[in-house]
Formats: sequence, structure tokens, C-alpha cells
Amino acid sequence: MRDGPVGELQWLSVAEAAQAIADKELSPVELMKALLDRVAKLDPRLNAFITLDAEAAMAAAKAAEAEAVAGRLRGPLHGVPVGIKDIINVAGLPTTCHSKILTDNVAKADAVCVQKLRGAGAIVMGKLSTHEFAIGGPSFDLPWPPARNPWNTDHHPGGSSSGSGSGVAAGLFPMALGTDTGGSVRNPASCCGIVGLKPTYGLVSRRGVFPLSFTLDHIGPMTRTVADNALMLQAIAGHDALDPGSAATVNGHYAANLDRGVRDLRIGFVRHFHEIDTPAEAEVTAALNHAARALQMEGAEVRDIRLPTLTEFGAVNRVILQSEAWAIHGPWLRERPGDYGQLSRRRLMAGAFMNAGDYVQAQRRRLEMIAEVEAAFRQVDVLLCASSMDPPCRIDRPADIDRTYPRQARTPFNVTGHPALAMLSGLSVDGLPLSVQFVCRYFEESTLFQVARAWERSAGTDKKHPAIV
Amino acid sequence: MSMDKATMELLARRAGLAKALTEFPDDVAAAAKQAADVMSKIKQPTDPAAEPWPPMKAGRGL
Repeated sequence: MRDGPVGELQWLSVAEAAQAIADKELSPVELMKALLDRVAKLDPRLNAFITLDAEAAMAAAKAAEAEAVAGRLRGPLHGVPVGIKDIINVAGLPTTCHSKILTDNVAKADAVCVQKLRGAGAIVMGKLSTHEFAIGGPSFDLPWPPARNPWNTDHHPGGSSSGSGSGVAAGLFPMALGTDTGGSVRNPASCCGIVGLKPTYGLVSRRGVFPLSFTLDHIGPMTRTVADNALMLQAIAGHDALDPGSAATVNGHYAANLDRGVRDLRIGFVRHFHEIDTPAEAEVTAALNHAARALQMEGAEVRDIRLPTLTEFGAVNRVILQSEAWAIHGPWLRERPGDYGQLSRRRLMAGAFMNAGDYVQAQRRRLEMIAEVEAAFRQVDVLLCASSMDPPCRIDRPADIDRTYPRQARTPFNVTGHPALAMLSGLSVDGLPLSVQFVCRYFEESTLFQVARAWERSAGTDKKHPAIV
Repeated sequence: MSMDKATMELLARRAGLAKALTEFPDDVAAAAKQAADVMSKIKQPTDPAAEPWPPMKAGRGL
């Protein structure tokens, strides 16, 4: 089907792969085979997959090839492989949530976001590692090992969507679904040097996704390029009348502003997050300053802006998350505490020590914090801030994991529900990814992609891949 | 706001965590400490009429 080379298949972007398939320059079978070969070679070191569904993926690729040859494309992702975090249902496959508790929990139907990806033509390769029930951290006391970082497999890849981040960065698949309740799309995006979006709360249906915290859960796209992220969001966004948290909005055209640049955009730099609230490593600060300067050079107006402190955002997030998670996990924690890993058992039991008044107070303060961030968005169009305050640490040092995991600025936007995107800002002296985060007004993801694309073009972040072979 | 051992154990049993308390006493204690730590960091709204999120009114949320 292919006449000439289309580049190394593992590094093809979603857009490039979809275009090559539509132009009949690339067979979905050839692409799938190349990626499955790469999975066979690298995943024993990365542990990105919990369930690899190679047979079904190859069958779907053959069907996609036949359709492409006949000129019948299902949608803009026709024939493009995708990985799915293992708290999201894929019909016929177990949704284990990386836990002994749900080892045999086979999904009867696809989650809405998976249905939509398949409707757009994507092919599911399998289910991906996560922190147990999307909380905790990298754990060695679970039925499956934790995913590892392809930039250096001695280091963690972030989480909880850890297999999604690791696999996209390593070229095992060009796109993946993650979920984000306290930063779980943006943490692995930051640690693995890819693009991870937490959309506006309610923009992507949560139906068919195992909940962690009903009012904080988001589903988001993880890709190697900003344009791919917009393409994937376009496929999965949309109102779902059966999801009580779904926003009653009409989808935007998320790639509309991609190449408009940032001239005259007003960017608020939230310096106090990484300079005062949780002082970042010097390399992280330098990379953030560099990104701010680069966007200013491209014509944006950059000014400092203040929001509530990270400490308080984090506390509000934790009280709400742990109270809601306790409502879900209480019955299992009472009867089967030994079937959880230690990290998630400790985190999930915290909700037992919070009362209804604590929960409501956190929700009241949440509304005030939303008003404070909304006030900032009357002064600026976009916020620029840190994502992680450190490069990813070694995965085998629990004390370092405990110290660095809370050193982040992602939870504020789970609390407020604003769309937030994390991506590569540079590499540390040790060759590990550093990160930057952009945040926008509700439902203005197209502006978020506009700024992220300007930074990507300026820094060439989409061309940087780990050297793992 | 700290929590003494007796209070922690009482709350754990009331929440049905007797088994966890026997098998994983350190984890229960760590969970209780986490809860106390985060709750103490939240400012209380000064306006008694401050609403929780989502707002308890009809209309648009986000």
C-alpha cells in the first residue's frame, strides 16, 4: 500500500499517520505491526501495558485497511492505534484499575470516550498501567509492576496515567487516554515530555470510567504533539445526557487557532506557585522563565498574576477527593483492606476521618477559589505556571517519591475545573523532561492549544524523543 | 489539628475499619494523620451564606 518511506513509524504523529492512511501511503496493518513489534521489544522494560489486545488490534487494523482501500474512512483517526488507561472500560477486556480488587472485572461495554474514539476510526491496542485506582503512586505490591519512564527506566513516569505517558513517549502508540483527578494526565505528560490535557470539567463524558472523585474527575488526551491533542479532544468531547456532570455545550473546533501565534494574547505568569508556595528546582524555574520570555518574544503580553496558594488548593482537592473516594471504596476497605497496595490503602482510608461538614466546607471554599481564578481571567487570556517542581525521581526511592509527588501545581485546576495542559519545557542536565503548564477559561481549549502550539514551534518540543531502543 | 490514638481508633472503628486497624494499624494511623493535616489547611469562608460547589441553584454551573 505504501510507495515510499513515511518516516519512522513509531514517531509518526496521529495527524501524520491518519493522513498517510487516508492517502493510501500507509497501511494500518503495517503501522500496527510496527508498533506491536516495538511493544514486544520495549514493554518488558516499560510495563506500560496491563492487557495487550494484539489479536483484536491486528484484526481491526486489517478491517481498517480494507475500508481505506475502498475509500471508506470512519473518521479523522482512521486506522490510528490508541492505548487506554485501565480504569476506562473497553468492551470484553478487564478493567482492573491495576488492583487485585478488580482483577476479573471484564467490561461489558466501551466507555463513551472509547466509543467515540472507535467511531472516529481509532484502534484500541490494550489497557495501560495506572496507579492503583488512579491514586497513590508507583507501587511494587500490586498484581502488575508499575510503568517506567522511557527517558530513563530507573525513574518513574508520573501518574496516575503512567502507562499512557510512558507508552506515548516511547513510541508504543501515538495517543492514549488518561484521567485526571488531582493531575493524573498532566503529571505523566510532565514526566515523560509529552502533551497532556485536562479539559474543562464536563467536556468529556465520564460514563464507563471507574470513578475516583465524582466532582474532580476528568478524562483527557495524551499525545506527542499539540495538534494531535486537539484532534483527539475533537473526537472525545461532547455532551452526554447520561453523565450527570456532563456540560450542556456544543463542541468547539479545537484546532481552529493552532497556527495563529500568540500576538496580543495576555498571559498571566503565576510565579508564586513555584517561587514561593512550593519552590521549584532551579532547572524547572529556568525553563519556565525561558518559556515566558519566548512567548513574549512571539508577541504575547506577559504579566505576573496571583491566585490562592498551592497549599490551600491542595488541601481543598484532598478533602473533596478523599471524601468522595471513601464513599466508593469504604465497603472494600472494610472487608478487604489487604487487597489494596499500601500507598492507595493509606490515601483512600483518609476519607474515613473526614466528616460531612469538612466536605461541605471544602466545597464552599472551592466556589470562592473558582471566583478568584475567574477574576484572574478578566485580566488575562491564559495562565502560564509550573506543572511539576522537580524532574521525575528514581522509582525505587519511596522517600523521594513521597517528597516530590505533592510538589506540583496541577490540583488547582481540578478544583476549579478550568482546562489545563502540561507539556515539555526542556530537559534537565540528567536528560529528564521538565514541564510547563498552560490554563485557559472554561471551554476555551482552542486558545490553550494556540499557546501550546506557539511554545511547541518555538522550542521544537515535538521533535524530542527518548533514546530508548 | 492533631488526633490522639484513642480518638483515631474510635473513629476508625465507627467507620467500620476494625479489620484494617488490626491488620494495618500504621496505615490507619497514617490515613488519620493525612486527614487531619489537610483539613487544617483550608480557610473557612467568612460569609455564612457562602455556597458550596456545585451551586445549590438552578442555572449554569461552569
